[in-house]
Amino acid sequence: MNDELKLEQDWLWIPLPAEIDHFQVEQIRQKIKEKMQEAYVKYIVFDFQNTNLMDSSGIGLIAGRYRELAVRGGQVYVSNVSDNMKKVLSFSGLYRIVTPWEQVVVDEATEMELKE
Amino acid sequence: MGNTNEMLVEFEAIGENESLARIVVAAFVSKVNPTLEELGDIKVAVSEAVTNAIIHGYEGNGGTIQMRIALDGHKLTIVITDKGKGIPDVEKAMEPLFTTKPEEERSGMGFSFMEAFTNELMVESKPGEGTRITMVKMMGEQDGSDN
Repeated sequence: MNDELKLEQDWLWIPLPAEIDHFQVEQIRQKIKEKMQEAYVKYIVFDFQNTNLMDSSGIGLIAGRYRELAVRGGQVYVSNVSDNMKKVLSFSGLYRIVTPWEQVVVDEATEMELKE
Repeated sequence: MGNTNEMLVEFEAIGENESLARIVVAAFVSKVNPTLEELGDIKVAVSEAVTNAIIHGYEGNGGTIQMRIALDGHKLTIVITDKGKGIPDVEKAMEPLFTTKPEEERSGMGFSFMEAFTNELMVESKPGEGTRITMVKMMGEQDGSDN
């Protein structure tokens, strides 16, 4: 599994581990901090592809990044969220501040269709 | 079905043991064939309670966490105890989004998660003595087989 963070211009892509607890969050937060010193990041995508568990410390991590990016006009996305993870994200109210990445892709496709 | 089982484990209050606690509980309940959702729920709840003991009970300085797990038929009871600093106002601590550590990006949702992902939650605490969190969850009830 490739768990390296990817930086592309002002986008940061973050593959999340299988289980996100307080212990894991501390390590991910440190990695994000390092990447955000390398470049002026405006957009973050949290990729849940390999994730099957997240507790409230993960919510703290995502909400914290949202606060950081919101002041610079950026945005936070979540990608590949399983039904199990959806339950946690919905319950926490996180969907009020983050956008499912797949929704963005669909919206863009619809927009292109409308133009044609 | 008078099937009961019980276990008691003690471990150091360090971050690595959050996953250990989840694995122990998952293994213990496997016998009653819980659904993936039930298993996910209880793992999250255990994670929250253990994290609470590590961060708030012992404030990251280490100590011992005791976890008692009991299964009575499909009724799972988990009691997580620390001998840390305790919670002065349990009611306040259990309010959604309440956090004593905003600078550490805590979501303040730990107890809300425990409450939402179990059937019963009880928190007892004495400042200076420690905290005991009791969680009850029904597991594997949909499973038709007789254990």
